[in-house]
Amino acid sequence: MRTSEARAFGLRTAVAVATFVVAAAASAQSSDASAGIPRAPDGHPDLSGTWDNGAGIDFVRPRQDGDSICVVGCGGGGPPPARPAGAAPPGPSTPQYRPEVAARVADLDKRQVEEDPVLRCFAPGVPRIGPPDKIVQRAGEAVFLYEDVSGSFFRIVPTDGRPHPTNNEPSYLGDAVGHWEGDTLVVETVNFNDQTWLTDNGAFHTTDLRVVERLRRTADTLEWEATAYDPAVLAEPWQVAKRVARLTDLEIVESPPCIDRSLEHMVDDSHHTNPR
Amino acid sequence: MARTVLPFLAVLCTLSLCANAAAHHSVAGQFDSTKRTTITGVVTKVDWINPHVYVHMDVADEKGEVTTWRLESLPTAMLRKAGLTSEMIKGGGQKVTAVAILARNGTPNLGWLLNLTYEDGHEYVLAGE
Repeated sequence: MRTSEARAFGLRTAVAVATFVVAAAASAQSSDASAGIPRAPDGHPDLSGTWDNGAGIDFVRPRQDGDSICVVGCGGGGPPPARPAGAAPPGPSTPQYRPEVAARVADLDKRQVEEDPVLRCFAPGVPRIGPPDKIVQRAGEAVFLYEDVSGSFFRIVPTDGRPHPTNNEPSYLGDAVGHWEGDTLVVETVNFNDQTWLTDNGAFHTTDLRVVERLRRTADTLEWEATAYDPAVLAEPWQVAKRVARLTDLEIVESPPCIDRSLEHMVDDSHHTNPR
Repeated sequence: MARTVLPFLAVLCTLSLCANAAAHHSVAGQFDSTKRTTITGVVTKVDWINPHVYVHMDVADEKGEVTTWRLESLPTAMLRKAGLTSEMIKGGGQKVTAVAILARNGTPNLGWLLNLTYEDGHEYVLAGE
């Protein structure tokens, strides 16, 4: 074998070996990850459980000293708790709007205290509501439950192949249907009203909004991703930052009523920040 | 469980716990951190509501005239995460001293609650500094 052929052979061999090693590792990893996933009788991952996604108050690290309790601003306490691998840092990314509606977004953002529906306790909409706090899954459907500052909400997600209903009124949380892509539950939601925002920064949408969420479970975490499509106003589909929730045994409760009494006392347009 | 709590990071930012406080200060839009008051009385009612819990306190002056204060506080999820309940805040009817900052628009007897110290010595810090 000539030197150049020997080199080429060696290179091909090395590439083949490397490919095999990578593929084997990926397969093992996939197998390992898959092995820890609880499964429903139909073979799909069972997403049922109560999921703690931090809810924007990870920074609250209470301290107790005897009967005394410090809720926030307690000093010390060490670094914030570690986030699961892949979890996004707090704070929303921002949807990008078409130039012709940019002024409207800027105006709404400036007047957020007056205009943000969530500050008046309306349902936050999708994807703003974030990952479900609890999932109850059975053959043919999954029920998403939310304990939200605006109230308690539910979404029923058929997974039996039925199409979107055609006779429902547009709503805050829309009409959802789901299907499985491998071990990922893909939820498509349409038929929204236009009374919610995508984020707190004036991010309005139209009734043509379509949101696709992807949920994937490991043994004790739930990964949630969402993409919002509204081509009439968005310059591009908005990919919401991925969030990872942890399985918890702390059950959700009925949300106390949401009754705003603050906004009437605001004396300026101070932005009311919103970590989702 | 800590649940979705959106408008309230502002609280912390206002109280110098947030790096970008200048951009987010809705509590500062309602309350003046330079106008502080300390009142002593009895918690008569706790409105366990979102987005903010309200604590009602009856405060008597030296003549015995009673004024009811409304003290705004954190959202229920934060208090629940800390293990606080409305009954605990009521303190069983014992005397309590509250520190609060006052409404910027001059609304009387309205404040943002910073902490509560009860007659038996225990305290709840609801918005540290």
